[in-house]
Amino acid sequence: MTPALFELENVTRIFGSLRALANVSLRIEAGERVALAGPSGAGKSTLLALLNGSLLPTQGSVKVLGRETASLSPRVLREMQSQIGTIYQQFNLVDGLSVIHNVNAGRLGRWSLLKSIASLIRPLEVETASRALMQVGIAEKIYERTDSLSGGQQQRVALARVLVQNPTAILADEPISNLDPERGREIMDLLRELCGTLNKTLVVSVHAIEFARTHCHRVIGLRHGSVLFDLPAHQLTQDKIDALYKI
Amino acid sequence: MQLESYFRTDRAARSSSVNIRWTWATAVAALVAWSLIQAGVFSGQTLINRGGWTLALSFAQAALHPQLSFEFLSLTLNATLITLGYAVCGTSLSLIIGMIGGMLSSEVWWQAMSPTRHGRGIWWTIRAGLSVPRAIHEVIWGIFFVNILGLNPLVAILAIAIPFGAITAKVFSEILDEMPRAPLRALLNNGASPFAAFFYSILPQSIPNILSYTFYRLECSIRSAAVLGVIGAGGLGYQLWLSFQSLRYDEMWTFIFALIALSGAVDIWSSQLRRRFSGRVRLEAAACQSAPLTTKPAYRRDRAVTLSLIVMAILIPLSFWYVQADFSALFAPRAAKLFVRVISDSFPPALDGVLLKELSHQTIQTFAISILAITLAGAGGLLFSFPAAQNRLTLTGVLNPQDHKVKTLLILVPTRLALLTLRAIPASVWALLLLFVLFPGVLPGALALGIYTLGILGRLMAEVIESLDERPLIALRSCGASGAQIFFYGVLPRAMPLFLSNILYRWEVCARETVIIGVVGAAGLGRVLAEQLSNFDYPGMTTTLLFFIALTVFVDVIGVFARRSMQ
Repeated sequence: MTPALFELENVTRIFGSLRALANVSLRIEAGERVALAGPSGAGKSTLLALLNGSLLPTQGSVKVLGRETASLSPRVLREMQSQIGTIYQQFNLVDGLSVIHNVNAGRLGRWSLLKSIASLIRPLEVETASRALMQVGIAEKIYERTDSLSGGQQQRVALARVLVQNPTAILADEPISNLDPERGREIMDLLRELCGTLNKTLVVSVHAIEFARTHCHRVIGLRHGSVLFDLPAHQLTQDKIDALYKI
Repeated sequence: MQLESYFRTDRAARSSSVNIRWTWATAVAALVAWSLIQAGVFSGQTLINRGGWTLALSFAQAALHPQLSFEFLSLTLNATLITLGYAVCGTSLSLIIGMIGGMLSSEVWWQAMSPTRHGRGIWWTIRAGLSVPRAIHEVIWGIFFVNILGLNPLVAILAIAIPFGAITAKVFSEILDEMPRAPLRALLNNGASPFAAFFYSILPQSIPNILSYTFYRLECSIRSAAVLGVIGAGGLGYQLWLSFQSLRYDEMWTFIFALIALSGAVDIWSSQLRRRFSGRVRLEAAACQSAPLTTKPAYRRDRAVTLSLIVMAILIPLSFWYVQADFSALFAPRAAKLFVRVISDSFPPALDGVLLKELSHQTIQTFAISILAITLAGAGGLLFSFPAAQNRLTLTGVLNPQDHKVKTLLILVPTRLALLTLRAIPASVWALLLLFVLFPGVLPGALALGIYTLGILGRLMAEVIESLDERPLIALRSCGASGAQIFFYGVLPRAMPLFLSNILYRWEVCARETVIIGVVGAAGLGRVLAEQLSNFDYPGMTTTLLFFIALTVFVDVIGVFARRSMQ
């Protein structure tokens, strides 16, 4: 059996006295587009942080690209992380830098320290960055300060950062919750299109569940830190949704 | 092709911002070079006093044998309590001045009180009026009060309370003005009286900030109380000065250790307390922090905060009792008579050509001192602040990739202790020590002020780093960036503007503080002032003071200008 891209076995993650995830097991194969759904506090962000190795499980094992994250040295973990691109609800860009540097930040895992410092003085690999910015539709913003952009534009910069990183998989943690519905739909369309044409795996947590049906192959419902359902997106019914969000 | 043209215009835009940066960098480099010339570094004149090394060595050796006899330790304890007492009394009075002054000089107060433009004139008058006491250093206030009240503990308290009150008023007014105004407007629209509306909306919103700023001011007051020892106000600074004059190095070290302990304890208390207020709290100048001001009353139900307030409530009356401040001296006819005499003796200011020429020369030297001092402090602060910041990602990032607890402590504790030592010892004492091995002039003055300011600035910069939002750093790390890369891409670009505005603000303070190192004879306008004081040359002092105020205003203006052009 080929190793799955992501494989979780009986994973529990505890913060202090809070059990954010309890006994979660799942596999995500290369090329899948998976939606994570569930009420606030269900463990969606924790799950994503486990998948990119920025959190380690309290119990159980998380394997990314066939390797267990908890057993990796910091250097190997960084190598693994450069294979996983992440975008966030709050964009998490560095405000004071211009767009080009924020996009180039996606290459840091592959650049030497010297090169990354040199690039801050005179931007390097401008062509790669501008191609990525063109793909997300804001090529003209390349030398602007990131904090001067609107929310939708900043999320596009974050997306461009992931594109130059050229990862195997993209994780997106509520990428559209801070945007208006129209901007949100554009970003989701962009994600679907980019993952489709570039053949990337996508794991995206969503607040608006209709995107799970329209933009993903598969939907995983999380509730109180456990998997409530794990279905192909077209089998998602109103009953399941009600059960997921009921109080 | 369209892309090509985009690039061209953006390159142009980019290069103009690069040009501004280059202009500033060149200007700063030129200023520093000019100051070094003023200091005589390039002129080949002897700066180092070789004969002083033996003295310096015996002073350093005395660190291992501080005076620890029982009587001496009880003297030290008494002096420590007096210094603490001055600081507490001074801070509490400055808080009262600051509260009233802050409210009256805030825009929002007048907006609530008189929605017509009626209050505008009063507002401006109060604002302008408060800027005068702020421009004059504590030591000068101290000298003024010594002349009127004699050697009364009140001198130290008032010398702290008046300038600090004016600074506090300015910061409080800015805090009040930064608070969200929607709640105030809602109350006013409901027909609440302006007075009640203000006390139910703006004031409670700003309490966490006002409280934490007050504790920060207490830290500053401890340092000021020590500095004021030079003019004869009691406490650790005074004892240190006496021991220095009788060359009792072992005693000096006992006092130095006491100062470090006192200053360290208050710093830790204040910073722990400030950390409890979630979000950003205000220190120093506007725009020295990144996030918007917090309005969350996080102090509620927090035991440490409640306890601190209780301790303060006990400490304040205790301090007034312990230092034996005699407020009746203020209203004694003798004080009034002396006040009138000092004022009438001081006017008109002396305007003879020789003095004016000397003062112009000294003003230039003082300016050079402030530039060299802030350059040293800024560069050193940059180096020290990163290891001194207690922040998992940045510290780990650069020096400690495994987030090792012991290693963290090994980096954190020595750096913080070094910074604490630098700022706990008054700049005047640093100057005295440097005068062992350097001839009086710009250089020892600048070095003394520089290392003292480094202690303060390093800590403020470390707090800037600690207040940075961690999420972009986490994002960079999950891109696979190494610690050093996170530092250059995530920490430095965001911290730098805040550092610069802290440095500019501290430069303004430095310009005022040159008076301290002058008083002990290092250099600059302060030295002239000290000489005039010992000759009872009051008209001359007035002129010197005017030059001094002109210099601080000049530095403030450059500061404001630089901050604007950076935004």
